[in-house]
Amino acid sequence: MRGFTVKLYSRSGLSLNTLALPVVLIIVLTTTARGFASWENLSNLSSQIAALVIVSLGQMMVALVAGLDLSVGSVISLVTCVIATEGGPLMLTVPLSLAIGVAVGLVNGWGVAFLGIHPIVMTLSSMTFLQGATFVWQSIPGGHVPAILSEIGAGQTMEVPHSLLWSALCAVALAVVLNRSRFGLHLFAVGGNSVSARLNGVAARRITVSAYVVCSVLAVIAGLYLAARIASGDPKIGASFGIDSVTAIALGGTQLSGGIGGVASAVIGALSLGLISNGMNLLGVSPFLQSAAKGVLLVVVICAQRRKSVGL
Amino acid sequence: MQAYESTFNSIEGGFRRLLVAVWDLSPAYYGTALLLIAAFIFRPMLLSEAFFWVILRQAAPLGMVVLGQSMVMRCLSIDLSIGGTVLAVNYIASGPYLSAYPGYLIVLACLGLGSIIGAINGALITRFRGSAVIITLAMTIISIGVVVAFARYTPPGDVPSLIRYFGSGRFGRIPIAPVIWIGFVIPAALALRRTVFGHYLDAVGSNPNAAAFSGIPHLRVIFLTHVFSGLTAAIGGLLLAGFVGTGSTDAGIGQDMILNSIAAVILGGVTFGGGRGRILGPAVGAFMLTFVFNFLTSFGFEESGKLMMQGLIIAVAAMIDGLKKR
Repeated sequence: MRGFTVKLYSRSGLSLNTLALPVVLIIVLTTTARGFASWENLSNLSSQIAALVIVSLGQMMVALVAGLDLSVGSVISLVTCVIATEGGPLMLTVPLSLAIGVAVGLVNGWGVAFLGIHPIVMTLSSMTFLQGATFVWQSIPGGHVPAILSEIGAGQTMEVPHSLLWSALCAVALAVVLNRSRFGLHLFAVGGNSVSARLNGVAARRITVSAYVVCSVLAVIAGLYLAARIASGDPKIGASFGIDSVTAIALGGTQLSGGIGGVASAVIGALSLGLISNGMNLLGVSPFLQSAAKGVLLVVVICAQRRKSVGL
Repeated sequence: MQAYESTFNSIEGGFRRLLVAVWDLSPAYYGTALLLIAAFIFRPMLLSEAFFWVILRQAAPLGMVVLGQSMVMRCLSIDLSIGGTVLAVNYIASGPYLSAYPGYLIVLACLGLGSIIGAINGALITRFRGSAVIITLAMTIISIGVVVAFARYTPPGDVPSLIRYFGSGRFGRIPIAPVIWIGFVIPAALALRRTVFGHYLDAVGSNPNAAAFSGIPHLRVIFLTHVFSGLTAAIGGLLLAGFVGTGSTDAGIGQDMILNSIAAVILGGVTFGGGRGRILGPAVGAFMLTFVFNFLTSFGFEESGKLMMQGLIIAVAAMIDGLKKR
């Protein structure tokens, strides 16, 4: 595998393989799946993957500091339920959702950075807690989302679906943060080697906490988008996002051991995963076998990422 | 030990040693003690002998899974594939494919399947150096997808009587399932203390690099723990299927075991690596979790409240451990 990989820019995680995957998928799907290249399907694809793109961007931030956040799925579910609360004005529910995101990120980051709890254990426990809280808030799908949010989420402006704008805005904002700010530089420094980053005066723990906060806030934004799109709250809608976002960033070349990744790799990874799902839908593969196929894909991608340590 | 001893430096002699020993106990023991006191005050009927056996029988499937998970986590790995294994075993034991064969063959097939899943995990983790979290989580997704896809066309039926006997049978007053569980726990605990393999496990867990440089076959040790975990997950799945009696296509079967097993292991004082913690702690952790859920049910808690409690227990146990390590 290694010999065929062309390193374009080592820190970004992009390689010829990760770039070629979506291109190959598009070519294959255009020729085999009828209706793939239609404007309707492409617009559909954009609205299907927008939430995944946004969550993957957040997951990538955490992966940069060698972490992992499985609680994003529960955050998404909780946010859709908060937004869909009957009679709750957006002026109240949106700030509440963002506050939840910040709080979850702070707790996750504090546990990982200051108490030395393994990210998996920390985020699995917050995932479980939040899933329970979501069921307390609303046990079955339902509720009502204000019309204005539905318009912002699911509408179109001059033939451009708003879903595309949501993903593009998040991607651009994060690209600026990562490539043009001190925080971005420090993220890469901590991910590369947290000990030497600390010795060089980087507040490594605070950077780690910030990465988790950004990740949870992006999950909140993805939740807002999904609530707008389905126009209701669903306490289980986010369940698969934790693992899907990890698959996506791994597909895009982000290294889960930290220090290597970027906006482009997260977006390309989410696009590849979205294309795979979309293609399997068009080809009529059973949804259960689809998830099994995604599992196999995840194993292959992870095994292709060579790393030194064994185990976690 | 040294790290904690300094905490009690101002106190003298034997009393200090006692304090250190108590401080060194894993959260599972404190938690169980607190629970028993709370039960004594609020729900004395939970402390009857009959109920003790009921809880022990309920804890047995989780306890088996925890046994494997604790071995895996000792050597800095994790097994999240047990949810998929438990579901797959449930389907094989109750599905139509093997129902014509005698019970013991079905049991063997299930144990074989668990070991194979464990071996695949172990091979991918040690040979390809894939992250254990991702590999084993993906394995659960694959198992669920395949089982649910198959079960749509050939739904599961009843569990063979032999497996039902293991899961819900009794010798007199004593249920069989916990006897099987304890029958695995004691040899495992002895093996960990007395055998070379047990010392290898400790060495790999404390410092994999040092273990590798000392010539310990650390990759093989990690591989074997994963095979063992697959096997115990299959046994746990069989005990659960035997307890329920009929097969289910609900993909949620076994999913709560993933998290509960990690919770029990952390409660039992085994953390990733470090070579600390024994076999008994996690077993007590499994008992404690089962008792907690029964205790909550007796107060009318629903699924949502139990999930929140579960998350809190894991977080608090991990935090206590984190604070101790500092």
